[in-house]
Amino acid sequence: MLKWSTMLDLLRGAGMTVTVSCLAIAAGVPLGLLLALARTRRARGLRWLSAVYSSFVRAAPVVTFTMLIFFGLPALGVSLDPLPAAVIALTLNTAAFNAEIWRAAIMDFPRGQLEAALAMGMTGSVAFRRIVFPQIWRASLPALVNEMTLLIKASPAVAIIGVVDLTRKARQIAATTYEPLPPFVAAAVVYGLALALLVAGARTLERSLRRRYGTL
Amino acid sequence: MATDPVPAVELRGLVKQFGGHEVLVSIDLAVMPGETVCIVGPSGSGKSTLLRCINWLERPDRGSVFLHGVRVGYRRSDGGNVLMSDPELAMLRTRVGMVFQHFNLWPHMTALGNVIESPIHVLGRPRGEAVAEGERLLEKVGLADKRDVYPAFLSGGQMQRVAIARALAMRPEVLLFDEATSALDPELVGEVLAVMKDLAREGRTMIVVTHEMKFAREAASRVVFLDNGRIVEIAPAEVFFEKPASERARQFLERYR
Amino acid sequence: MTLRLDVIWKEWLQFALGLGNTVWLCAVSMLLSLLLGVLFVVPLMSRRRYVRAVARTAVDSGRCIPFLLLTYLVYYALPSLGLSLDKWTAALITLVIYNTAYMAEILRAAWVHLPPGQTEAGRAFGYTGIRLFRRIILPQVLIAVGPVVGNQLIQLIKDSAFLSIITLPELTYAANSVQSFYFVPFESFLVATLLYWGLCGAVEYLVQRGERLAAMVRRGHGH
Repeated sequence: MLKWSTMLDLLRGAGMTVTVSCLAIAAGVPLGLLLALARTRRARGLRWLSAVYSSFVRAAPVVTFTMLIFFGLPALGVSLDPLPAAVIALTLNTAAFNAEIWRAAIMDFPRGQLEAALAMGMTGSVAFRRIVFPQIWRASLPALVNEMTLLIKASPAVAIIGVVDLTRKARQIAATTYEPLPPFVAAAVVYGLALALLVAGARTLERSLRRRYGTL
Repeated sequence: MATDPVPAVELRGLVKQFGGHEVLVSIDLAVMPGETVCIVGPSGSGKSTLLRCINWLERPDRGSVFLHGVRVGYRRSDGGNVLMSDPELAMLRTRVGMVFQHFNLWPHMTALGNVIESPIHVLGRPRGEAVAEGERLLEKVGLADKRDVYPAFLSGGQMQRVAIARALAMRPEVLLFDEATSALDPELVGEVLAVMKDLAREGRTMIVVTHEMKFAREAASRVVFLDNGRIVEIAPAEVFFEKPASERARQFLERYR
Repeated sequence: MTLRLDVIWKEWLQFALGLGNTVWLCAVSMLLSLLLGVLFVVPLMSRRRYVRAVARTAVDSGRCIPFLLLTYLVYYALPSLGLSLDKWTAALITLVIYNTAYMAEILRAAWVHLPPGQTEAGRAFGYTGIRLFRRIILPQVLIAVGPVVGNQLIQLIKDSAFLSIITLPELTYAANSVQSFYFVPFESFLVATLLYWGLCGAVEYLVQRGERLAAMVRRGHGH
């Protein structure tokens, strides 16, 4: 089977995957919200820009997009190391999907509650902060978590620009030990566990929210 | 003249269109402090729109709205056309309390949470004071024991009473009711009307859009009959229900005999 | 800074071939996994708990693994079990396995959400078992899943880009070839991304046309 040293090596790769994914999620969820809010502004230029960005980035494979960011940006004068480039690429990608999720929640939001907020003397931004946002993040949780799982599954794309994530680490081990099956299977198990944990955690959170507030 | 009392709410020449269709056609109305004015009329006559123009949830196309002499929506009272900024309009709205047909409680807050939200975050009242007053108001509407309950677990009548407490917590000068009982199951209508009758008896300035003719008869000082966007008749309650002056009003009241 | 699109234009054939490979690989995989998905959805909806549990685990695991890792497993690990594959076969198999898990789940969800009317009518007319499934349930499900399958196809097209890592000459590989030869990374990958964007747009357009057709069919059934 696998030697202990190999397992540790594999875990180092897992650590890189977790790091890259967490950073991209932490940045991509709020960025998606900003993009969605841009679609609600009265300025038509901003709305159009956000819509085009969203459509373009969502259609791009993560691999291709990562290479565009890493190899392409230097041509425009911006030079990046592999790790920051990887995080930026993943962030921009997931933000586009999150923008659609946030946008759906904002558009679905019951107008009446907003009117009550305005009637009570709240301005638009206060109403968003106190009334709209606390509800839409809870309503968007399943979709946002789903997107997080998709991000983790797409994260091996970073290997192509030299970031040694779990998948690339498994490939390296397979290439050097001539025993390809164990490291790949182990990597698959680690991914599976990580995703299962994420989904289970989210489901528990959803259940406790439903119990507390009824169905929002 | 100096001794003329200032109306609590005054509408002058109000016109509102929706997609080419005139919903309100030159409305003139003055509601004095302490009055309870009920607005009645057939569906589609523009009653809700009229009410919503008072706190500028709908922006009138022409005409002016005045709250105790202060012009709503525009900066100066002399008819100039500089729009109020959002924060200015928001502050002015705190002087008008509104109760909606579909309650519009905020589901992620408890009953008490709903009531104290705006006093704390809009009016800047200290939390202790807001909570104390909130509890008093919930008691007043008969829901003291529901203070920590979330709206999803309240009945329609209970939700509407919380909504009334929420509006009262702002200490408004005027209360607007937009068909407050129309979305309620019949057996729950009474508890809400009882609260509204109490408020009228206390001498609050209330403008009530309603289909509940019995309530209007008992609680209103004046009744406004609206039809096709025009005020067809304004009369004291007894006069309107006993001897309506206009033919349209007579036809309308026939339905409720 | 000037965009050297002339180079890209010169190598249009490579891009076209790459795009073509991407398109046929994904189309064939989608069809095959649709067929397999139909087979898999039966045990997923089985009344026998054990059968359902096994099918459920298989489908969930299939949706839990990153596409690149699955590719490595099929291409590099299977040979150690005696099954050696060229990259085209490996690519196709990976795409089909990966997509079948998603298709099974999509079909299952559509089946569960079917309005009961037509199925009940079918039963009333004496359809049972396989005939009920094949002639009554399946057509409804296939019509219902149109847009979701469209989205899944877009996902598949994007995942296929990972195949460039095992040097399969699809679109991303073509873009990488061109850029590494002519040193035009930005232009090359930008064009590739624009082509993917166009491809996704085409799929969405087809889905819309399909939806309109489905709406006509539904109207015919008196919905």
